Amino acid sequence: MKKNLDFLMTGYARLCAVAVFLATSLLLGFLIKRGLSSVDLKLFFGDTHWLSAITGTQPVFEGIWPAVVGTLFLVLLSSAISIPTGVASGVYLSEYASGRVRSFLGFAVDVLSGTPSIVMGLFGFTMILFLRNTLLPQARPSLFLAAVCIALLILPYVIRTTQTALEAIPEHLRLLGPSLGLSHWHNIRYLLVPLAGRGILSGVILAIGRAAEDTAVILLTGVVARAGLPASLWDKFEALPFRIYYLAAEHRSQAELDQGFGAALVLLLLTGFLFLAAFFLHAKFEKRWKTH
Amino acid sequence: MGANRAGLISERGIQRSLLIVTGISAVAILFMLALLVYFCLPLITSDGMSAVLSWEWKPFSGHFGILPMCLVSLLLSVFALGLAFPAAIGICGFVTVLAPRGLARFFLILIHFMTSIPTVIYGFVSVFLLVPLVRDRLGIGTGFSFLTAGLTLSLLILPTIVLIFHARLQQIAPSLRLTAEAMGLTPARQFLHVLIPASSRGLIVAAVMGFGRAVGDTLISLMVAGNAPQIPSSLFDSVRTLTAHVALVVATDSQSLSYRSIFASGLILFLLMGGANFLIRRLDDGIGKDRHEEEP
Amino acid sequence: MENTLAPSSSATVTIRDLSVAFSGKMVLNSVDLALCPGELTVIVGPSGSGKSTLLRAVNRLNECFPGCRTRGEVRIRLDGRWGNVYDDFLPLPELRRKAGMVFQTPGVLPFSIRKNLAMPLKTTLGIAGSVLAERIERALREASLWEEVKDRLDDAATTLSGGQQQRLCLARALALEPQILLLDEPTASLDFRAARKIEQLLTSLKQRYTVLAVSHSLGQTRRLADKVYVLREGVIGQEISGECLQDPKTFEKLIEDAF
Repeated sequence: MKKNLDFLMTGYARLCAVAVFLATSLLLGFLIKRGLSSVDLKLFFGDTHWLSAITGTQPVFEGIWPAVVGTLFLVLLSSAISIPTGVASGVYLSEYASGRVRSFLGFAVDVLSGTPSIVMGLFGFTMILFLRNTLLPQARPSLFLAAVCIALLILPYVIRTTQTALEAIPEHLRLLGPSLGLSHWHNIRYLLVPLAGRGILSGVILAIGRAAEDTAVILLTGVVARAGLPASLWDKFEALPFRIYYLAAEHRSQAELDQGFGAALVLLLLTGFLFLAAFFLHAKFEKRWKTH
Repeated sequence: MGANRAGLISERGIQRSLLIVTGISAVAILFMLALLVYFCLPLITSDGMSAVLSWEWKPFSGHFGILPMCLVSLLLSVFALGLAFPAAIGICGFVTVLAPRGLARFFLILIHFMTSIPTVIYGFVSVFLLVPLVRDRLGIGTGFSFLTAGLTLSLLILPTIVLIFHARLQQIAPSLRLTAEAMGLTPARQFLHVLIPASSRGLIVAAVMGFGRAVGDTLISLMVAGNAPQIPSSLFDSVRTLTAHVALVVATDSQSLSYRSIFASGLILFLLMGGANFLIRRLDDGIGKDRHEEEP
Repeated sequence: MENTLAPSSSATVTIRDLSVAFSGKMVLNSVDLALCPGELTVIVGPSGSGKSTLLRAVNRLNECFPGCRTRGEVRIRLDGRWGNVYDDFLPLPELRRKAGMVFQTPGVLPFSIRKNLAMPLKTTLGIAGSVLAERIERALREASLWEEVKDRLDDAATTLSGGQQQRLCLARALALEPQILLLDEPTASLDFRAARKIEQLLTSLKQRYTVLAVSHSLGQTRRLADKVYVLREGVIGQEISGECLQDPKTFEKLIEDAF
């Protein structure tokens, strides 16, 4: 009887692990098998020559290049907005803020992090409605708007990971700076931030990954199926995750379906790469403290 | 000495600028909330809310009820949680106690990796793998159903639950395991009888976070749930969640009257997630007082 | 016993009626203490008696902890002038350079050996170039570490042994040219030989600096100290110096009585 319980529990745990492993392998294997053959220059650039596509001299019609560029711009813009702001805020919350300020701001950050991405997209959408009714009647959903909304989406990640990384510094190292006569800011800049650097960086990379894969926000703030390369910040744009979604729902030929698989694989490779980078940084970060 | 003076001034300056930047973050958040509230006001003031809180969604005949979507969002999330939660416990047991070091590490990395897979990819693979399975093998309907969405969603939220619970276990396991080992318990029993009860709060937090993640997800239900605005009568019915509803209404860009429904949806979603978050905050504060720590 | 209440001409640090509380909880209660140059003063006491807090009161490091309230005076003599550090006699960063501290666990930073020493010099004093290299070498020689690391200054400081790391921390404090050294159980985490080496170092350093140390080992205290204060629950119970220190039996009895 007693042995049975052990057996059951162990068996169940093993079963769960195997099931998850199988599900994930199935997912990845299926994607790789159907998508790998499609990943070539034609996937990206269609019939246009790659050099003229990249330099923008000729438009790309059948390839995913505009979507890739759209995602790239989106990620760059939203990162430029949210990463410096987030790290600075994280530093402030961890090292300067008093109890009251900290709980108030912490609450605001919590609210933000608990907002579903579709609601964030809704916010962007309402911005347009609001502007249309008041200041700018020609307001349109655009790359800039989407980037701002995504920046708001990933801001709490950056703030939280910066705060956590700084708070993880052991006490005897925190006292070191002041004991050597460093001012508060010097202590933060030359000691604490470099020490927490890797942790902060891995959080930043995860935030970037989140920005690259988001679909819900851009659905409501200006992404379309066909727009070519983004001509300006204020126009509609294409993005990789949306292209994938669109092709899944509206593909009209086998060729388009293949493109979908190829695009999915490309996106997966992108996020997979970011994941590895963040993972190794984080592992090295943890190692730093173990030598003491 | 001069360096000191300048140092003091820039010290103040830096504190000020950091405060300003943090203030900007806070203001952005508040602005976002204010805007959403502004657009939701007409709902509360007029009888807008009651029009939206009905059971029929037929925009062209003037019905803007979103209650079916609310129900579906809740049911689907509970279903996904019901699948993912037990599996998550099993995996945590495996990784924390029952598996050899190397294998445990591998699985942890795998679970971490799963969190980095974009949601749209889960949806995409589900469309071309799971949907035909339900349609052809089980032979019912179009394959786009509650069941399909539920299965995919549970796979999506599984890593979240595992990682949160695992983190909690890592905090308390070392000291407790030694004690349990000394009492002669096998690893499986240690997990079942000691670790799980001792981390019950962590379990709840993990479950609530998983639930929150399921409720807030848009893409999976958009891609595989079928999107029919109805109350499901079987697992194989086509359904629509609140999140998918918002995306669909904005996409079809129909009359502005239906916009009211998406703001109501947004409000409900926001409150749901906010409620879940609040619950977690309350639980997290008490997390230091888990049972094993309260004992003398 | 010496009159420890008036600033005697030979003292460099006088602590008068010092009381420190953290969030209402009293850790030090009306402590009086005097340190003289050329003397190694040791504080002993049971754990939790406030020894580290007393040490940190001199360089005002207690203020880095939340809820700290300090009453009383810590007067130090610098370049012939006396002043109470709690009256902002010196700006905080300068005070902390003048009263250099070494902690129990070697607070070695995960940088190179050179950078461990260079960083505080560069950021607080703006020293660079050849002057920097000179200061680094001088500090390392003073800490008896130069011969062992001169060929590998760019190696990670974490590759040093425990004793070497602790001497590195000492060098780091010495590089800032302090006048007072505050040592919090400096050999607590070291093995017997490394500890002895540091003890020898301290015996030579006390000639040039005023040294206040906390020790966990009574044997070490007897070997090193010129004056011993026994701290118990935040209150100084005994001051031991001179012949009482020399004779082991008298010393033991005094300590036991005090504890």
